[in-house]
Amino acid sequence: MPTNPSEFLARVIGQRVVVKLNSGIDYRGVLESLDGYMNLAMSGTKEYVNGQEKNDYGDCFIRGNNVLYIAADKQ
Amino acid sequence: MADTDAAQTTEPLDLVKLSLDERILVKMRGDRELHGVLHAFDQHMNMVLGKVQEIITVVSLDDGEDATHTVTKEHEMLFVRGDGVILVSPPRR
Repeated sequence: MPTNPSEFLARVIGQRVVVKLNSGIDYRGVLESLDGYMNLAMSGTKEYVNGQEKNDYGDCFIRGNNVLYIAADKQ
Repeated sequence: MADTDAAQTTEPLDLVKLSLDERILVKMRGDRELHGVLHAFDQHMNMVLGKVQEIITVVSLDDGEDATHTVTKEHEMLFVRGDGVILVSPPRR
């Protein structure tokens, strides 16, 4: 178990994650990097609106202010 | 070491830096998308885009169904304020 939030984030870099934005939209992909603003770079990114796949962006940058949570994805 | 808590050599902004002079997709607040050539950006994600296609998704109220349509506008050159940016996606390589 991580003992603080940064440790969790360091642990999920390079792993599959689900990122939920304040708008409720989910992005699933591999977390490539993040910074102190919680800006993210992801690869293999797919966009899910109401659980349905809407877009396949490949690489993408997400501005940190929109992030609600970052969850480790299964497998 | 200058790295932050997350031990890594690259930062998210590097992905945007690699997209300079490329045609990118920018997802904005207010159901807008911009497709254009990235000429410049800064740490706020303020951007200068050229040859921009602005695609606005509009929800029609007349029908009971969730009918949406898009309105497209063209801009030769655009300054985009960073706080409206949600996502930036470079072209597929």
